[in-house]
Amino acid sequence: MANVVLEGVSKYFNGETPAVYDLDLEVEDGEFIVVVGPSGCGKTTTLRMLAGFETPTKGTLRIGGKVMNRIPPKDRNLAMVFQNYALFPHMTIEKNLAFGMKIRRNPRSSIKKEVEEIAGMLGISQLLGRKPGELSGGERQRVALGRALLRQPQVFLLDEPLSNLDAALRAQMRVELKRIHSQYPVTTIYVTHDQVEAMTMADRVALMNGGRLQQIAKPETLYEQPTNIFAASFVGTPKINLLPGKLRRESDGVQLNFLSLTKRLNGSLGEKLSQLPVTEVTVGFRPEDIRLAPQGVDGLHVVSATVELVEPLGSETNVVVRVMDQVITCKLPARTGLSTGDAIRLEFDIPQMKLFDNESTNRLN
Amino acid sequence: MISVNLLLAIIGAAFLLPLIWLVDAALNPHASAALTGPAWSLSNFRAALAAGAGGAIKNSLYLAMVSTIVATSVSTIAAFALSRHRVPFKASLLLVILFLAGLPVTLLLIPIFEIYVHLGWLNSPFYTSLVLAATSVPFAIWLLKNFIDQVPRELEEAAAIEGASDLRILWGIVIPLAMPGILVASILTFINSWGAFLIPLVLDANPKDQPGAVGIFQFMSANGVVHFGPLAAYSIIFSAPVVLMYLICSRWLNGGFAFAGGVKG
Repeated sequence: MANVVLEGVSKYFNGETPAVYDLDLEVEDGEFIVVVGPSGCGKTTTLRMLAGFETPTKGTLRIGGKVMNRIPPKDRNLAMVFQNYALFPHMTIEKNLAFGMKIRRNPRSSIKKEVEEIAGMLGISQLLGRKPGELSGGERQRVALGRALLRQPQVFLLDEPLSNLDAALRAQMRVELKRIHSQYPVTTIYVTHDQVEAMTMADRVALMNGGRLQQIAKPETLYEQPTNIFAASFVGTPKINLLPGKLRRESDGVQLNFLSLTKRLNGSLGEKLSQLPVTEVTVGFRPEDIRLAPQGVDGLHVVSATVELVEPLGSETNVVVRVMDQVITCKLPARTGLSTGDAIRLEFDIPQMKLFDNESTNRLN
Repeated sequence: MISVNLLLAIIGAAFLLPLIWLVDAALNPHASAALTGPAWSLSNFRAALAAGAGGAIKNSLYLAMVSTIVATSVSTIAAFALSRHRVPFKASLLLVILFLAGLPVTLLLIPIFEIYVHLGWLNSPFYTSLVLAATSVPFAIWLLKNFIDQVPRELEEAAAIEGASDLRILWGIVIPLAMPGILVASILTFINSWGAFLIPLVLDANPKDQPGAVGIFQFMSANGVVHFGPLAAYSIIFSAPVVLMYLICSRWLNGGFAFAGGVKG
């Protein structure tokens, strides 16, 4: 077990655009970190640098306090689960599991014992004599996990391990992976493009985009306090509503206008905003922070809207509405009885509002 | 449809008739250029063996086996390196190798002879087989590189992260998975060396070391008269091992790749 530290790590393959740029990341011993981001954001390159398949162009990579930049994969004492499992097709499952232990010259009797133990834990004991080609996707996934666990690594690396499984199996494996991690609390770095995996499994989520780290935070923090527009819109289904807004400086604070609403921002936020040379902003509201305005309430935070689409999900209903020239998605309770074309009134939960600078895209409040 | 079948039958016959003649002549003590029908005996085979066919086959076997082992080992390692490692000027190097694969042996034979004279390597079946191996290496590298290219890289990475050295990865992962290709390369090298005529003739003047191909040639022109029967028997003895090898290996070759299930594509 070990901590993992990346300091100013960049990777250029060829040319000017870096695959990973100036990445600072500190993973504590035993922590479960999920690195998440869209395709091409540099998350897999980061993992491959940790594994030793790629060498960082710049920066330092430490595992357990030791600089690993130029140490070959075989000497790093890591285990990795690959997206396509990478089981050895010409070997039985038992030999696949025992491969690493044999290389490390463990005694034969202990290999057999440990392989059987891990196979029992993962429920693949009956498959030991078969070859990978005869296994289903979920079974192969377990074998790949078993092989990695038998390594007893300092750090566990997982590269989109669930992306080839069907939805039900994926949900099941998510739970199982978390269970395994609580049983063997090895430092884990898990790469995925799936925000659900990131939010449900991680101790902390590292969000990447365009080769740069956008935010590293606990799942709740990432959701509640995204650092910028990208972080806000990557996490959450349906996506956060982003609306154009205008700031107007006044003597005792700032006035924010968006849609037909006007909101006075006082206190420290108002003070902070009045210092900034910003007038155009983006106003973000999560779909669940918009609700139907109760009858008769005609407050400052209420707008009129027309229903464009109703998506009943059973426990709740996603409703797409049009407010002036903006399309907004809101998450309303089940059985709203709404249908397309209905005129409704919506209320915004102002304390949950997220305000972003249009230029830097960073969050202002 | 009928005309196509007829054409195919004629082409088939063109290949089959000489073969039938060969078997017939080998078994017929009074063989001539004509097909004579059954009056069969094994006397021609006895005559061929008496003329040294047995020893010549043994020499062929030695040359073919040594050159196959050498050529396959060397080309497997070279193909692995070319497939997986960053080799400077790799593209040009591969083109040079391809060019060498097409170079006629006759062009190289005189310089090789010269070198062998200096090294004192003439008249040695072992050193002769090295030249035979060298003539097969370029093509074998190309063939094997394509096979090794198809072994998924993740498998090697998975082995590396488990602590396997490069050699272990080559031996434990790449070679077993590229086995069909290695077999094809071995068979091609074996056949190439088995049929080699000019190289052993030039590099080894010792009559005791002559392989089957040279043996047949000498047997054909031995007395000024061509004895078709023993010659046909000699030919059959000479081609039997290669045919046999084809039959045995086709079982594995039909198996094709065994990548299924290793990685999900």
